[in-house]
Amino acid sequence: MAQDYAEWLAINVLNEQQLVSYRSLSRALKVHSNLAKQMLYDFHHKQNAKKPGTVHATYLITGIKRTERPATNGTHSQRDGEDTVMQSSPLLPSSSALKPGEHDDETPNAVQTVMLVKQESLELAKAKFESITGIHIYSLQAKGLGDIQSLTECNRKIAVDYASEDPLEVWKQYGTIQNPDVKRRTQRRQPPPPPAPVAKAAVAKAKPPVPTAKPTTLKKEGSKDSEEAGPASNTSAKAPTEPARKPPTNKRQSSDIFKSFAKGKPKTKTEQESQDSAGSTPKAAPDDEPIAGFSDEEDADEGDADIIEEAPKAVDGKSKKEREAELQAMMEQEDEVMEDAAGVEPDHAEADVDEGAIDKPDPQAEEPKEIVQVESGRRRGRRRVMKKKTVKDEDGYLVTKEEATWESFSEDEPAPKRIKVPTTTSMSKSTTAAPGKKGAKPGGGNIMSFFSKK
Amino acid sequence: MNGDNHADLLQPPSNVEHAVSERTASHYTPLPTYRLPKGEHRHYQQQYADMYFARLAQLKPAVEQIASEAWADFEIGGETASRKDRVLDVREGELCWIAGTLYMEMPLKPNVLEDIGKEHWIAAPPPRVKYDTGGGLGGDSERGAHAGGGKGLAGAQIMLEDESGRLRLTGGYLSGGLLVTGAIVAVMGTENSDGDFEVLDLRVPDLPRQPSRWETEDGEAALQGKSVTTKRPISGKVAIISGLGVSGVEGDTLLLDLLLEYLLGESADPASQEQAASISRLIIAGNSLSHSSPIPSREELAAAAKKGGRKTYGYDSASYNAAPTDHLDQWLATLLPSIPITLLPGEQDPTSTSLPQQPIHAAMFPHSRAYMNPPTGPEGPGWFDSTTNPAEFSADGWRFLGTGGQPVDDVYKYLPDCEERLEMMEAMLRWRLTAPTAPTAPDTLWCYPFQDGDQFVMKECPHVFLVGNQPKFETAVVEGPLGQQVRVLAVPRFKETGELVLLDCETLVPEVVRFEVFDEG
Repeated sequence: MAQDYAEWLAINVLNEQQLVSYRSLSRALKVHSNLAKQMLYDFHHKQNAKKPGTVHATYLITGIKRTERPATNGTHSQRDGEDTVMQSSPLLPSSSALKPGEHDDETPNAVQTVMLVKQESLELAKAKFESITGIHIYSLQAKGLGDIQSLTECNRKIAVDYASEDPLEVWKQYGTIQNPDVKRRTQRRQPPPPPAPVAKAAVAKAKPPVPTAKPTTLKKEGSKDSEEAGPASNTSAKAPTEPARKPPTNKRQSSDIFKSFAKGKPKTKTEQESQDSAGSTPKAAPDDEPIAGFSDEEDADEGDADIIEEAPKAVDGKSKKEREAELQAMMEQEDEVMEDAAGVEPDHAEADVDEGAIDKPDPQAEEPKEIVQVESGRRRGRRRVMKKKTVKDEDGYLVTKEEATWESFSEDEPAPKRIKVPTTTSMSKSTTAAPGKKGAKPGGGNIMSFFSKK
Repeated sequence: MNGDNHADLLQPPSNVEHAVSERTASHYTPLPTYRLPKGEHRHYQQQYADMYFARLAQLKPAVEQIASEAWADFEIGGETASRKDRVLDVREGELCWIAGTLYMEMPLKPNVLEDIGKEHWIAAPPPRVKYDTGGGLGGDSERGAHAGGGKGLAGAQIMLEDESGRLRLTGGYLSGGLLVTGAIVAVMGTENSDGDFEVLDLRVPDLPRQPSRWETEDGEAALQGKSVTTKRPISGKVAIISGLGVSGVEGDTLLLDLLLEYLLGESADPASQEQAASISRLIIAGNSLSHSSPIPSREELAAAAKKGGRKTYGYDSASYNAAPTDHLDQWLATLLPSIPITLLPGEQDPTSTSLPQQPIHAAMFPHSRAYMNPPTGPEGPGWFDSTTNPAEFSADGWRFLGTGGQPVDDVYKYLPDCEERLEMMEAMLRWRLTAPTAPTAPDTLWCYPFQDGDQFVMKECPHVFLVGNQPKFETAVVEGPLGQQVRVLAVPRFKETGELVLLDCETLVPEVVRFEVFDEG
């Protein structure tokens, strides 16, 4: 144990030139923070004894700092405010009279200070203290510390590296103050690991508070979450595959279409996907197979092997729903044609994948339908809208397609609700009539949603 | 000066077992005083005037009682003051007293009609330091001396209003006072020949009844049929902080890290760690994020317009920067396993801008959410309590009333010469209009139009009144006529001062811990 830390510190501080704080050390070696501070000191001491100036330190001083302000005003204890300097107090004759003099008396209540200081300024800093309760080493680094703010890097790294640790279980060994009353509920969905800023936006968008009835949604979360360190293309490459999961789940269309489409799909797609998938964390492992399979389906749907590659570029503008809708549109177009293809035998791995996917058809079945809810007179939900999309072809040509995409809509706010206050407005009565009429046909066909759109 | 005991940690590691402390327990009961009904039950149909009437109805009896006690024996020239029921009943030359609502008309006060005329979009009005025109903006007048009589209130008109009408107030007495719109007062004087009421004396409702310590908990226990525990454990301290100001910029978060480590008991020497272990709760009083308010300020809009970007109606989701909330969430999630936290939103936090600000939603905290109560679950106190601003809760038996600072800041704008924020806080307590809108809502501080009663009228006197986001730390004890004692705390902005306030819950004496980074310059 004694040798471990010297070794560890030698590697990290000297060889790798990293900034090591006592917290990073305590997490790495699983020791109490105070022990880590002592280890830092020891290392610092020994290294500088061997070769001065190799290791620089920052110190944390706690104590009572000298106050510069003289607290010389006498104490006023009388209660009447009539004849004091503050003329505003007469207005509050029963006040305990906050006189300006009293403020100074109150404030120098032993201001305890916790100060972080570089080793070069240690003596200067110590001089500022009236009494010191403790000093310890905060961090070590090989070269002098340029910007002291870079110490935040240590804590940030800790948050990233040790995010998987459960604080309630392991933090005791680090010497964190334990709290026996802490209440925490288990979350069905894991909070996202500290993601890279790029992927963060994608993750944030993909996180609706959905009940667990949608396991595929969960898995999607998992796959999206797993893209923490991955390149942006990872994110986008996965994303197009997710909507592919939806179409196969619709029982009607199920294996028929895919079987027919699944013939002779370029295996390159599978490889690409599996390569991408390999880069993700174990959370996405169960997704690998379906993803690999679905990428084929999506290729089939698109009918063009290269769209997948182009899709990442265009994916920024697309939302997940739009892609689903695209594919859905393809599905529905093909529906009539492929009805009789039921007899085609599935004999590739896609079959297994299909089965796996079809196991979760129900939660997804409602997705493709247009959802219109009526809530307090306001129509809102999802509907299909024709949108134009321009994509770059494999030959570099720009192709504009018009396709149906899903979007959510909601009507304008209905007439304000009446309350018991006798501020009747006949106007509100008349306005309730109009949206009421429109709301009277909830879930109406596309035509109605067309009219209600402003 | 530097004894050897402090150098404990400056030595090679030994086999001494390092203790792991346990934190003092915190007894906490949040009160839902300022929670607004959700969703469709929240109505905005009603007029704000109703709020004023409700406030008057609630406070008039109290102020009249105080006034009648004070002036019962008052005599001038053989004449005693008589009470008038309505403001308009005052007769010239007659000594009398009346109670009503104060209204200050000040030229620089934001006027909603002007605003509508000028602007077409919703934006926060430009911040003003003081509403007064000029008279005494603290330049040459000596401390507190409103020597020029009405000079400090030049251009302002003060009126007293009740259900019947309005009466203009004058008199040298007024210039010495803390007067803001919305305060319910009783004034004594007489009407002069101009038709104005000359004020000789003024009374305020003063502090309401203060519950005894542990009263909330005992009352609840009684209601639930449980036996009332007479023995209570020794309470620890409560840490109060405000103005963390987490922004996406990384350059200034070192102080936050220091604070985090101190609270967790990891940094500093064992003695300080023991002390940190006695901190039972952390209260964050507003402005944890900077620039996260959903309504852009006028400056921001002007800057955006200048950039020439297309005008985005509604919310431009591409410009959302999740870094600040993420950082805050991580920070909170690191603290939560060890210490319970109460979070009050502030002016710049992502929640409603009108008072009472509703709690910051759990969706903003994906990590810390695990420590919050589930939305449909039982209504117990959550470990991580995201609460309203202002907030009333009972911690360790003491009744706390906390705000994020907007009421006091607004009152500050009204008072021409007064820089003493503590005075204002004291005044707010005495007007019994602390929270929200401090008295000035809804006039200059946006607020929700309460229908049934002004929620901002203080019904019970708190033991601790804390106000966040103040320029510096100040504290005092305010005494009331019935022996109430309130500890008033002005909590400074952490981002600027690095100060943390520790309030000892046994004695209610605060102390400050300052975090800083040594500056060689």
